[in-house]
Amino acid sequence: MRIVFLVALLGAAIFYSYIAFAELGFMTRTGRLGPGFFPRIVGLAMVGMTLLAILDALRDRARVAAGGTPGAEDAPYGRWRDFALLLTLALGYAVLLRLFGGLIATVLYLGLALTLLNPGKHVQNALVAVLFPIAVYLLFDRVLNAGMPPALIDLPF
Amino acid sequence: MDIFSDLAMGMSIAITPINMLYLLIGAMVGMVVGVIPGFGPSAGLAILLPVTFGMDPVGATMMLAAIYYGSMYGGTITSILLNTPGESATVASTFDGYPLAKNGRAGPALVMQAVASFVGGTVGVIMITIFAPMFAQVSRSFGPPEYFLLATMGILTLIVMIGSNWKLGVISALIGFALGTVGVDLETGQGRYTFGSAELIGGIYFIPIAIGLFGLGELFYAFYSGMHRLGSGGLVQYGKESRFWPTAQDFISTRWTMVRGSILGFVVGVIPGAGATIASLMAYSTERSLSKTPEKFGKGEMAGLVAPETANNAASSGAMIPLLTLGIPGSASTAVLLAAFMLWGLRPGPLFISQNPELAWGLIASMYLGNMVLLAISIFAIPLFVLIVKVPYRILGPCIVVIAALGTFTVNSSFIEMYLMFGAGIAGFFMRLYGFSPAALVLALVLGPLAEEALRQTMTISRGSFGIFLERPASLWIIGGTVALVILLPLLGRIGTNAGKAERAGG
Repeated sequence: MRIVFLVALLGAAIFYSYIAFAELGFMTRTGRLGPGFFPRIVGLAMVGMTLLAILDALRDRARVAAGGTPGAEDAPYGRWRDFALLLTLALGYAVLLRLFGGLIATVLYLGLALTLLNPGKHVQNALVAVLFPIAVYLLFDRVLNAGMPPALIDLPF
Repeated sequence: MDIFSDLAMGMSIAITPINMLYLLIGAMVGMVVGVIPGFGPSAGLAILLPVTFGMDPVGATMMLAAIYYGSMYGGTITSILLNTPGESATVASTFDGYPLAKNGRAGPALVMQAVASFVGGTVGVIMITIFAPMFAQVSRSFGPPEYFLLATMGILTLIVMIGSNWKLGVISALIGFALGTVGVDLETGQGRYTFGSAELIGGIYFIPIAIGLFGLGELFYAFYSGMHRLGSGGLVQYGKESRFWPTAQDFISTRWTMVRGSILGFVVGVIPGAGATIASLMAYSTERSLSKTPEKFGKGEMAGLVAPETANNAASSGAMIPLLTLGIPGSASTAVLLAAFMLWGLRPGPLFISQNPELAWGLIASMYLGNMVLLAISIFAIPLFVLIVKVPYRILGPCIVVIAALGTFTVNSSFIEMYLMFGAGIAGFFMRLYGFSPAALVLALVLGPLAEEALRQTMTISRGSFGIFLERPASLWIIGGTVALVILLPLLGRIGTNAGKAERAGG
């Protein structure tokens, strides 16, 4: 996984450098340093350093294959499952916010999230799922006058 | 005498009822942020920054600063009672804090950490009062070459402290620089990496990235680490011991420890990139080496708790010096504070204190008051924070997601920025997992545009010659200082880390 992450980063660094060289000038017409000067340095450095990091990662993989200690990312399946669950819930919350607006989406999200993460404690979960969004709504919308995300779908209540 | 009249003026601004309320709220929130394991001041500041947008800048900066240094107080409560540091700067406090609690001295340990934090924080603010105007005076002669070098120094020192993963630290900083180039080039007006999007013309906004990387990224990592499955089973019950208050001997035996920890912490805090964690580990190591009974360290020695506590609080004050007088943040937390200043149209730097005396001296004065407030809260509100420690992470986690999402949205009422925050959260998790440095990324994102502008101005002044960096005395001093730090900091960091490892192995 680490190598996949680094390769994706290398791809992004190459693309960044390509734009810096192809579209952004090194000098301006008046002979000053142009908008491409800094991005070219950053892009090239990023490509070089990412290549070095990929080499390190490949060496690490060879070491682990030869019986060395695995890295932190080689965690049990359960850990990845917990991360994936929270990530899915968080992304689901982003969608709910767009659809139902700040208050309703937060109640729905917390209700679902707590049911999954804190199972069996229905009263506690229900209280947090209702009281916390109300407190946040009062803080942002009423006290700070900041405004919660508006709903795309108008609910009848 | 100017300092005293400026401070008195600052005090008159800070002491208004509304500002005192903001200060109290900031101190309480900072303590809560500190108490939550894996949730540092950077995350707390980034997530709560949007909350301050509707406020007056003086009250808002006071509140944010209180969150920043308040988190240092709170982080130790879990170090003492649960053997789990609330953040990295309080790791050293577990070495003797937890053994003290296990030995039936949880009450005295909690009170002494509050007193030590108060002493460290207050000595730090006294030093800010004295040295900030001097630093500002010196830095008035700085030009673009010096600013470019200072920005480079901030990033470099942070990267060398990363240690064996320095290559990943460099890549993190380069990603931050790259993100900082997005938007319209101010010198030529040409768009860079905007791909025709109106949303990107103004550049990548700092707040969603910081909230995502520090808030959500840390949270995802905490779940991945299984922190939500942990209870508070190891929590030591305090208050059942015969004496809650420390003895006179506790104060007498640690009086010089507090002085040494405060000075060392402040000096390390001023160095960009070094920070409170290194300061606390170094103070612990120094104290043990100076002690007549080093064998007691790690087994419940009060000096072993007091030293890191004074140092980390003094360091967080010291880090305000480069921020206020140079506009150069030395850590992720102060980078978030700098972003806050910029959002209110303020530009910290050599002229910041003289041009904004009410705000600057109001902030400094508030830090004196804030430390007093935190001392009282730390001692008398301990039961409240113990309750917070008992709230399981599996309940806190989803609530943090809510605050992060809504906090990001409220800044510009932008769903795009909220999605960017979620993206940064996922990136932050993988960066944390694979050894990258989110702090270096954020610092580079803030310093990148400043460094680029300064470098281009420097090259214009010198007509393209890099020799200008060697011709100016101030530049030479900064280069010399950077080289010394790059060589010395890893050594000092290693001394502190080795002391920590020795304690953990021995304990």
